[in-house]
Amino acid sequence: MDDRKLQIFLDSLLPLLKAGVAYTIPLALISFILGLLLAVATALVRISAWRIPGLIARFYVWLIRGTPLLVQLFIIFYGLPAAGIVLDPFTAAVIGFTLSVGAYSSEIIRAAVLSVPKGQWEAAYSVGMTRVQALRRIIVPQAVRVSVPPLSNSFISLVKDTSLAAGITYVEMFRTAQQITATTYEPLLLYCEAALYYLLFCSVLSVVQSRLEKRFDRYSAG
Amino acid sequence: MIEVRGLHKSFGQLQVLKGVSLRLEHGKVLVIIGPSGSGKTTLLRCFNLLEIPDGGSLSIAGLELSFAGNVKLARKDILSLRQKSGMVFQSYNLFPHMTALGNVAEGQITVQKRSRKEAEKRGEVLLAKVGLSDKTGAYPHQLSGGQQQRVAIARAMAAEPEVLLFDEPTSALDPELVSEVLKVIRQLAAEGRTMIIVTHEMRFAADVADTLILMDQGVILEQGTPQQVLEQSENPRVRQFLNRIKGE
Ligand SMILES: Nc1ncnc2c1ncn2[C@@H]1O[C@H](COP(=O)(O)OP(=O)(O)OP(=O)(O)O)[C@@H](O)[C@H]1O
Ligand SMILES: [Mg+2]
Repeated sequence: MDDRKLQIFLDSLLPLLKAGVAYTIPLALISFILGLLLAVATALVRISAWRIPGLIARFYVWLIRGTPLLVQLFIIFYGLPAAGIVLDPFTAAVIGFTLSVGAYSSEIIRAAVLSVPKGQWEAAYSVGMTRVQALRRIIVPQAVRVSVPPLSNSFISLVKDTSLAAGITYVEMFRTAQQITATTYEPLLLYCEAALYYLLFCSVLSVVQSRLEKRFDRYSAG
Repeated sequence: MIEVRGLHKSFGQLQVLKGVSLRLEHGKVLVIIGPSGSGKTTLLRCFNLLEIPDGGSLSIAGLELSFAGNVKLARKDILSLRQKSGMVFQSYNLFPHMTALGNVAEGQITVQKRSRKEAEKRGEVLLAKVGLSDKTGAYPHQLSGGQQQRVAIARAMAAEPEVLLFDEPTSALDPELVSEVLKVIRQLAAEGRTMIIVTHEMRFAADVADTLILMDQGVILEQGTPQQVLEQSENPRVRQFLNRIKGE
């Protein structure tokens, strides 16, 4: 690496990190939290015997899982203005990622709730609990434990997927790398640098994930 | 007192209970035996409405409910009837995310609305009763099958139900752990607990039962004292069943 490249590399370390911490991570976090709320609601509706809401929930999951995330983002940001709905890049990105997390995670949560043995419901009923009490005290705590690993994976994927928001002009970490590239003409260097930051973020999250899993593993068999 | 009259239950086309009637005085022990598939578990589950009967009536300690296939029961009635019975399952079904004490306290806190402190105090007394004073803080996976089942018995007693229901409480246990659970149940019988027990342990059944019932194909084939059913019955199907299990 010659001196100029080294200088560009060093000069962009801080701007990229700033963009990551100030834009990429908040986008991922906000979308994930909203998405989880949506996912819980979707999963509960699908588990319940509520017919029409159940069908709507299934349609939503089918639609989101069957279309590319980038295309969804383009429809929300570039397409909706034609229908009179103009959103700023951040809002559009949050909506797109929330819908995506909501659909994929609802399947994870649904599977986790259904994985709790029927005997647990019966034991809860046998001590006199209502359906809601059984869910809250007995079923959900066990389902949460089952869903922590796959939900952590979803979050890690989401952190990487936020780079798609660059496509709708949201200046997060990847778009920042693109902008620096435009003035320095060093795409290989800058994109690899951005990749390294993603790698760093995801590695930290993996460590957090295994901590979480250990915490929830306290009472598991074995 | 517990009484059922003309209890019917079907699963789809399959009629599992075809008019079962029985009564049990307070403080007595009823043991139900019979071949596999005869409807013993289904009958027991009707007592706490884990299965809702299609017809007949059920009364426990003054609360009487009538069933008709097309009438939905009031939620309030279901919940209050469930608190009048405590169920011990074949596979324990302890709450794995709670300690032994947590398992016994949970229903008291969530359903009976007792304070945690009071629920745990009562829980400790109940765990001592089943011989597990030293295991209050253990999670289910840290306990043997026999210990788990004893926690389940303590949990079933926590709401002070009128009747304890046992569905083959020892058949998931390793043979050497069976006796510790039977000992606890015998001790409860001696204290005058009202209990309904489904079991394949014939010696135990004969010892502990005030009334023994032999079920077959959804009806009660014979009922009486253990001696009457096991030794004096003239019914050829009863003799056939008893001979078969003797051969095992
Ligand atoms: N939820 C259900 N759906 C459909 N059929 C059922 C259901 N529960 C029980 N049955 C059927 O009802 C019949 C009686 O079952 P039950 O479990 O009451 O018998 P049991 O006397 O307890 O037998 P075992 O000694 O094997 O435990 C069986 O034929 C069983 O297959
Ligand atoms: Mg059975």
